[in-house]
Amino acid sequence: MLTQAWSWFRTRVPFDEELLRHLSAEPVSGHLKRWWWCLGGTPLYLFMLQLLTGIILTFYYVPNPEQAYESVQRITMDLPFGWYLRSFHKWSSNLMILAVVLHMMRVFFTGAYRAPREMNWIIGFMLFGITLLFGFTGYSLLWEQLSYWGITVAANILAATPLIGDVLANFLRGGTEVNGNTLTRFFVFHIGVLPTLMIALLICHVYLIRSLGVSQLEGDRPSDTKTFPFFPDHFLTELSIGAFLMFLITCLALIFPVGMGDQANPLITPEHIKPEWYFFWAFRWLKLMTDTNAVITQGIFIAFIMFWPFIDGVIRRRWKNSEISMFIGILVVLYLLGLTVWETVYLMH
Amino acid sequence: MSLNAKQWIVAILALLFLSALLIVAWVEGGRARVVTHPESIVSSQNKDCVSCHEVKTPGIVGQWHESKHSESGIGCMECHQAEEGEIDAFNHEGKLIATIVSPKDCSRCHEREFKEYQASHHAEGGKILGSLDNVLAEVVEGHVSFDAMGNKSSSPAAVSGCLQCHGSEVKVLEDGKLDPATWPNTGIGRINPDGSKGSCSACHMRHDFDLAQSRMPENCGRCHLGPDHPQLEVYTESKHGIAFAANRERYVPLMSAKEWVPGIDYEQGPTCSSCHMSATRNLPVTHDVGARISWTLRPPVSEKIDAAAKKMGKDVKPWEDRRSDMKDVCLSCHSPNWVDNWYIQFDNLVNLYNDKFGKPATLLYKSVRSKGLITNEINFDDAIEFTYFFLWHHEGRRARHGAAMMGPDYTQWHGMFEVAHRFYMEFVPELKEIIEAGVKSGDPKLVKSAHEVEKQLDEVLNSEMHRWFLGKMDDKAKAARDKARKEFKKRYARE
Repeated sequence: MLTQAWSWFRTRVPFDEELLRHLSAEPVSGHLKRWWWCLGGTPLYLFMLQLLTGIILTFYYVPNPEQAYESVQRITMDLPFGWYLRSFHKWSSNLMILAVVLHMMRVFFTGAYRAPREMNWIIGFMLFGITLLFGFTGYSLLWEQLSYWGITVAANILAATPLIGDVLANFLRGGTEVNGNTLTRFFVFHIGVLPTLMIALLICHVYLIRSLGVSQLEGDRPSDTKTFPFFPDHFLTELSIGAFLMFLITCLALIFPVGMGDQANPLITPEHIKPEWYFFWAFRWLKLMTDTNAVITQGIFIAFIMFWPFIDGVIRRRWKNSEISMFIGILVVLYLLGLTVWETVYLMH
Repeated sequence: MSLNAKQWIVAILALLFLSALLIVAWVEGGRARVVTHPESIVSSQNKDCVSCHEVKTPGIVGQWHESKHSESGIGCMECHQAEEGEIDAFNHEGKLIATIVSPKDCSRCHEREFKEYQASHHAEGGKILGSLDNVLAEVVEGHVSFDAMGNKSSSPAAVSGCLQCHGSEVKVLEDGKLDPATWPNTGIGRINPDGSKGSCSACHMRHDFDLAQSRMPENCGRCHLGPDHPQLEVYTESKHGIAFAANRERYVPLMSAKEWVPGIDYEQGPTCSSCHMSATRNLPVTHDVGARISWTLRPPVSEKIDAAAKKMGKDVKPWEDRRSDMKDVCLSCHSPNWVDNWYIQFDNLVNLYNDKFGKPATLLYKSVRSKGLITNEINFDDAIEFTYFFLWHHEGRRARHGAAMMGPDYTQWHGMFEVAHRFYMEFVPELKEIIEAGVKSGDPKLVKSAHEVEKQLDEVLNSEMHRWFLGKMDDKAKAARDKARKEFKKRYARE
């Protein structure tokens, strides 16, 4: 019966079964058995969870300044399992950002960005940027005080960009003020533009991984030079991580369910305007200098990280086997971590 | 790690996840849902009422379904239940109920509001039997008769007019029904069978009690409008009213919220309740509508609102404190300098009305009455009584209310202009006729009185503010007027 059905299906949807088997059983480098080599698959898995929960949330969310807050409130308070859905979406997004950061650190400190994988580092960096934009546009949709004033501050920072500041700020707000236009474009970005970009870049990212192969770890142990099949070995590892993440996110949703902040009110400036934790570093940096200087220095910093594979290439051509990348990497991590902790401590007081 | 071990790990983790989902389901089942558009809670004691009245009076039940009361299970019996021995209690389908839900009934849950309200001027609105307004409704416009037992009939003019705003004294007939001369009535100072004063539904329309409705300017405008106290019209022409009208659509959904604080929940267009009742950043909400009013603009001569009570030895909130509280509302949107200057403008207008027209007209009117030049014991039988009444009760109030609520046209053309016209063109000529009649009467007492009033009138007309009327404007003022007139004509090329 099953055989007949399969045959019926194969006749109508012809495909190369052998190729599929070959692709799914592709040998994977032995060092991928270490869990931190699965940090690339983790954000992908979390992104799929975000897509799923996000679609359900979109059924109930109303992207209108008059009703947005109330609709989120209804999802949280009224909709069956709405609190769980929202909590899951929020915690999953936080873990996704964390996983992307850890993945980038793993790639950086193992030198996996080096030739011929420079382009994939840049694509990965763009994926990181999109992940952050997902976070920013996502919490803006709640239309809470944090959302409204977060956008206001972000627009003010953009406005400080030399030459094109006003254009950028007006583009972000959809005008000269944060209002319904802003919410509409944030909604469009969050559920349309960013997912499309994310999926397109993910395809490129995975394609390059598959076509260039997984990088070999320098100084690998002899046992790691062996390979193992992607399916079912690596698939089971990813599946166990997936199951663990589901469990972890559910626990976080139960212990720290999402709540509601105060509704956006242009008349009341909160005592502390604070972004989400993953922007703390940039927010602290902003407080240390003028807006324009902060925008210029952060722009340089971002470009530096984005194009680091090429900078590193030049350095390594000049000084063979230079380990300056390790030093730079540690400095960048300390810089980001230091500013984040500084801002956290400041906000706690 | 072997594949088998990996499979076990996946299975264990999946089981852990499923267990966590069970906890999620348990939490979901046990949580009190805070719903935004909840179903009405019909308690067992209200079930019969609702099912029957859904057919008989679906409007009432529909209103209740829209209310916050219905969300909390506050239904028919919670408000309408009566105690044995209450004069208006009656048995209805096996339940002892009362038709009227008095403020005392509401105080079972809303005690603070009840206390504030009972202490307010609104609560005293029903005590108008001795007023000139009541003379008009029961004698001049209407009519009442008395039976052999001395019981008074009602005047339709009062029942359908005055008392609908001021409030009736509700009477229960011998058969337990409510006297049609006194009910239906939701007057602000209604005197209820249980002795409590007022009617919460005067402002909070039953049975949905929507806060947005009670905060609408039209709600106060049910009574505060018309020729004698056009607060609604003044508000509508004021910038406050214009700003509210422009933003009304945006505000309506927000006005049903418990808090509606100027400067926090909205940025412009306060309504009557915003200034007179609502909470501010520093003040709590009050149901004593006079708590922020510093002048009384109601009588022939305005005085500070605590003056009468002080004369009677009562300890009331001083006018300075009331003004300070009103200023606190103003400061939600205006600067201190703006507010102080505005109060100077307002005080100056009230003082002008008082000094130029209110006080002299009252002095002369009382004088002709007390000296017998017109009948002292009958109201409204002499033309000058209507004239004087129009002057202070209609036009004088309009001018003062116009200034109080920033309605320039009501201050000027509907106000001070008409006051002046009434005074110079009607009151003074009528007074002169009365004086002349007194002089010609031949009755020595009346002749003497007429001369005394004539002297008073001369003093008034020769005083600084009125001497222009006799052509005695002083030279400086005259020169200034001439100069201004010439410039005005030159500006419009008429000379």
